[in-house]
Amino acid sequence: MRHQNATAYRFLAPYLLIFSVFWVWPIISSFLISFQATRTVPWRWAPTFNWGRLIGDPAFFNALKNTLLILVIQVPVMISLAIVMAVLLNSPLLKARGLYRFAFFAPVVVGEVAYSAVFRLMFNLNFGIINKLLNSVGLPSIDWFSNVTPAMALIMIAVTWRWAGYNAIILLAGLQSIPDDVYEAATLDRVSKVKQFFYITLPLLKPIIVFCAVLSIIGTMQLFTEPFLITERGGPGGGTETLGLLLYRQGFRSLNFGYASAVAYTMAGLAIAITLVQLWLTKEPK
Amino acid sequence: MAAVTLSNVVKRFGVYEIIHGANIDIADGEFVVFVGPSGCGKSTLLRMVAGLEDISGGEIAIGGKVMNDVEAAERGIAMVFQSYALYPHMTVEQNLSFGLRMNGNPKADTERRVKRAAEILCIDELMQRRPKQLSGGQRQRVAIGRAIVREPQVFLFDEPLSNLDAELRVQMRVEISRLHKELGVTMIYVTHDQTEAMTLADRIVVLKAGNVEQIGAPLDLYDDPANRFVAGFIGSPKMNFLAAKVVEAGNGSATVELVNHASARLKKSLQTTPPAVGADVVLGVRPEHFFDAGQGDCDIAVKADVAEHLGSVSYVYADAGDTELIIEREASRQRASGDHLVVSIKAGKALLFDTKGARIR
Repeated sequence: MRHQNATAYRFLAPYLLIFSVFWVWPIISSFLISFQATRTVPWRWAPTFNWGRLIGDPAFFNALKNTLLILVIQVPVMISLAIVMAVLLNSPLLKARGLYRFAFFAPVVVGEVAYSAVFRLMFNLNFGIINKLLNSVGLPSIDWFSNVTPAMALIMIAVTWRWAGYNAIILLAGLQSIPDDVYEAATLDRVSKVKQFFYITLPLLKPIIVFCAVLSIIGTMQLFTEPFLITERGGPGGGTETLGLLLYRQGFRSLNFGYASAVAYTMAGLAIAITLVQLWLTKEPK
Repeated sequence: MAAVTLSNVVKRFGVYEIIHGANIDIADGEFVVFVGPSGCGKSTLLRMVAGLEDISGGEIAIGGKVMNDVEAAERGIAMVFQSYALYPHMTVEQNLSFGLRMNGNPKADTERRVKRAAEILCIDELMQRRPKQLSGGQRQRVAIGRAIVREPQVFLFDEPLSNLDAELRVQMRVEISRLHKELGVTMIYVTHDQTEAMTLADRIVVLKAGNVEQIGAPLDLYDDPANRFVAGFIGSPKMNFLAAKVVEAGNGSATVELVNHASARLKKSLQTTPPAVGADVVLGVRPEHFFDAGQGDCDIAVKADVAEHLGSVSYVYADAGDTELIIEREASRQRASGDHLVVSIKAGKALLFDTKGARIR
């Protein structure tokens, strides 16, 4: 048995080596870097330097506030929308289901730069289709890129557009795993379709909803592309700067790797904490 | 309680007709079993009664009221599904009371009905458990309990025992039979297991490929099947069929000679015009209707292949030249493979069929 294990580990060794060098070591290294002052040469050990700055940094709290705001508003809206889309996709009345499934999934495979460029055009103050549509129903144009609230809304709309279909496809798989005869039994129990949705579909879909929510929370904590490309590096005036963007700004523009590492660990810690709270809240009774 | 009437009921899926005009009258309080091989349309017929499948033609009436356009929920029926169809996220108590709670039934009445169902099915101890914490038999009881609390006019069972092991199946069969006596409600039960049909039913409806082959009391179907399909389907082990030829046709009788057993001739009394001399026919003999040599009207020699000894009886699988016969023997514990034996057939116990399978009476 010991010989067999040794053989197995020899086969695993190349993978474990690459995994250790490119995955485990950077995680440990960045943790250690977060305790160093990295804007001096050479870097020096200063355990409270970055973490102390973090606690008192208005830019960090601004990014944290923006990230949590997006998380609190966008994730529930997107998951709700994804559930509705999944239920519609699952309807036996729907024709050309494959086409819709592709259409809902397509935003995920569209290049980030391309989709960001299209969103910038669509929401342009002067010739964007969104403002044209608002004008056509008598509403004034909105300057989506110069005011904080519309800019945040734009980020949320873009992220929702990109990921709602993806979550809907995951939820659809969950919906399809609920046996038809459970609904038939409910129908014979004289339970209306609406009540079937709230008392059967949603509870049975809960594990998948939690899975989607956890994925979305992790994704939102790392949000970077949209505020970087659509609202031009977290504009206006840092109004849409997220933790991901702050990390980028500190690490790769200011070359302050110690502080960027501290931000990265804060993001990871928050994602884990929020996910654990969510898993605890939605825990199945034994 | 209510009678159920199916008149010329037809079911089509696209261009395919699955049920070809079924006519079945089920009396108030009767226990009727739909039986037939897989794909014969028995579950489809049940689901049409339930309202879970549309009716393509004909009429279904429950309690004298035509139900074709009545929603499943309004038909006054309750159904027990093959897969139990319990709500997995609810406790047993919640499963039983769910329908009543959702419809605003008074709490006290809901509790009374749930308590009564739990008592009838002896599931009082399980009320706070979830379906995944129950055994197959317990789940089936809960599924039946959910039907009981509805206090329906008609109970529908769709192969409810097929997921249980053999021992539990026998136990649940007895319980369902007892339940029917206790509640006195009309029950329609679908199964492919003819033993279940024989033991549970007041009357059996035998279906084949969407057609009703015969309706009758279990022993009537066993003793007097309308055709070769019913004769072969009802009874376990199944009836033996031997190829024969009419050699004499007289007034009210026909003499047939077994093919491959040239000297074996049997004179059968008939109520109808006998087939012409030379016509091919099929002789049906149940395993228990083979007698010791010389005790019947004709003897045939066979060679035993395999013997199954069940204790009280043995079943000998024997080669009879053109076909394999199953012969029931009461005292043949020593019978072994390769033995030659001679068995006898009595004309009064044999049935005659034409080559299309219709009974020649």
